[in-house]
Amino acid sequence: MTRLSANAVLGLACILFALVTAFLWIPFDTDTWLVERARGRYTLGDSLAPTLAAGFIFLAGLMLLREGQQTEDRPTYNNLQFIGAMIGMGVVSILLMRWAGPIAVNLFASGEEYRLLRDTAPWKYIGFVLGGGCMVFAMIAFVDERVTLRALIVAVLAVVGIILLYDVPFEDVLLPPNGDV
Amino acid sequence: MTDLGALDYVLLGIQAVFAGPEAFSLLGLPIPITVAMVTIGLITGIIVGATPGLGGVIAMAISLPILISIFGFNSDALLPVLGFLIGVMKGSTVGGAVPAILFNTPGTPDAFMTTLDGYPMAKAGKARKALKIAHFSSVSGDTFSDMVLIVCAPFLAILVEAYLDLPEKTALIILSLSFIAAVVGGSPAKGLLSCGLGLLAVYIGTGEDFYPRLSFGTDALSDGIPITAAVIGVLVLGAIFVELEDLWHQKRTSGGIQIIKEVGDQRLHWADIRRILPFIGRSAVIGTAIGALPGIGSTLAATIGYATGKRRHDRRKAPDDPSFGNGAPEGIAATEAANSSVSGANLIPVLSLGIPGNTAAVFLILAAESIGGFNPGPSVFKFTTDLNPELVIVFGLFTAMIFANLLNWTIGGVFMRSLGVLARIPKQLLLPVVFLLTLASLYVQETDMSAVWFAFGFGVLGYFMRRFAISPLPFVIAFVLGSRLEDTARQAFSATGGDPFFLFKSPIAAIFILAAVAVIVLSLRKPEAKSA
Repeated sequence: MTRLSANAVLGLACILFALVTAFLWIPFDTDTWLVERARGRYTLGDSLAPTLAAGFIFLAGLMLLREGQQTEDRPTYNNLQFIGAMIGMGVVSILLMRWAGPIAVNLFASGEEYRLLRDTAPWKYIGFVLGGGCMVFAMIAFVDERVTLRALIVAVLAVVGIILLYDVPFEDVLLPPNGDV
Repeated sequence: MTDLGALDYVLLGIQAVFAGPEAFSLLGLPIPITVAMVTIGLITGIIVGATPGLGGVIAMAISLPILISIFGFNSDALLPVLGFLIGVMKGSTVGGAVPAILFNTPGTPDAFMTTLDGYPMAKAGKARKALKIAHFSSVSGDTFSDMVLIVCAPFLAILVEAYLDLPEKTALIILSLSFIAAVVGGSPAKGLLSCGLGLLAVYIGTGEDFYPRLSFGTDALSDGIPITAAVIGVLVLGAIFVELEDLWHQKRTSGGIQIIKEVGDQRLHWADIRRILPFIGRSAVIGTAIGALPGIGSTLAATIGYATGKRRHDRRKAPDDPSFGNGAPEGIAATEAANSSVSGANLIPVLSLGIPGNTAAVFLILAAESIGGFNPGPSVFKFTTDLNPELVIVFGLFTAMIFANLLNWTIGGVFMRSLGVLARIPKQLLLPVVFLLTLASLYVQETDMSAVWFAFGFGVLGYFMRRFAISPLPFVIAFVLGSRLEDTARQAFSATGGDPFFLFKSPIAAIFILAAVAVIVLSLRKPEAKSA
């Protein structure tokens, strides 16, 4: 069996995505068609611009199929392993950033609501320190392929530095996630 | 009130910079805020340019929310904030040469060609001289490019306003997008794909209907994707992922940094300058011409500048002179002048057409949009007899650019040569910190955790785009221009009474559309010609 080139696979994926977008997503998720007639006048509907964008993607897919095997630029197994790990670390860190503060308030400040403490130390720092610190530490440790004290120190310094940069000098600036909890 | 002429606007622009609000006083001398911000921006730019893994774009992404927090959302903030960003843009171009010459690690992608002659010169004990040549050539190219910008942008804008109506403007945006798609990244198919994805992304959750289109009925998508989250995600976070992965793969294989003692004369003499001036001149013209076209980056300018310089050098060099690639000062001059002269010319399409030509220009537009009161495009160049505040801002920007060049000529070189130590910071420690700092900066600006999720998601998209060798630049520019394209097309369609062929009614619009198609078709034929 002939193996498809990276460009051909990407091209086919583009064509499929463009067709699904143009014939399913846009018609079922938009109120107006390509052109609308309102009060006797024709106006451009909300579907036109995204359909054109889908058209570009479709055309790009056809061109990629035509380009064929000019290049073999595509993610390898190693690339997927790396980005998978990064996504995992990022998602866990952002979730920690969002929920560590409210959970800590629930556990240790009974009766209080996190929203009311979001600009009060130490509660306001819990999410950012844990989530941000975890993100920096995990990324360094992953790239270094070992857990080191140096990674921990850099992570702590990074979150402290960012707090000093944003939280300390500006009264109306809130660190994540305190602006929209 | 007296009627204002062109010269009055120039003077008002200069005044806005040098007679603006005082930042602080130095030895009893009041320092205006814009002057202070341009200086800080330039220094920041040189530092980030000299740090491998960082660059002007990252510095702009991180500093924009800080600046807006400091200066707020009013028109007085425009010149200090834009001045800072211009300082960063100029400084990072100069700073990129430091690690390229000293450690063979280009601080910015543009500085790659500088390593070819800069590092051999450093190994031969001529590091300081190589840095001086890089600085002189870079600032010369930048200054030339700014002069072209200042002369050309107003005329181009006036021509655009005089001859281009709504259908022509719509066609011009389409032409720009097709041009960017065709020329950026080597493959027109991938450029078009990047452009299509950018347009599709910006149309999510927007539109004129009551129901926000393409939002799946979710709250998260109903307000659209924040422009800053998309731009920072694809450009900055995507690049950090790629850099981190490269480090993961090649983990510390480079070994220690060799310290080389300087030997011989390190001064830059008039004879040296006379030798490199023809190379600077040619490269500055090449870089400016390339920079004026949207989407073609400084990397291509550096490559063409270097190749052109090499041909001349091979013909004329004395037998004892080093050839290009073996430590020729002319090689550094040709590269640095070409890549630096792109930055000023890149602002020609921004200021005269409102179309960003590169990533730095995207951040200038983001800043202008965030603050308000200044919409880059042909309409700002209206020399009205009543005060046009946007025109004053433009001449203020030109003044800030000239001032930044003066700073670059004087203190820039000395500061740049003292930054060799930055190249020794381990990237695997620096990049995760920059990643978190970028997300925190984004949150400070958007105050919404969904922006953080969007940026992270677009970072992953940016990573995959790079791994498929798809340039993220058409995506970003399409995202920035998408809404304007739709709005202009809607207005043009209505203005022509709902004519479906409104893009072909006027000869200029028809030429633009045909050119847009021709650019894509011609770029498709290019690989066949090569393989034949």
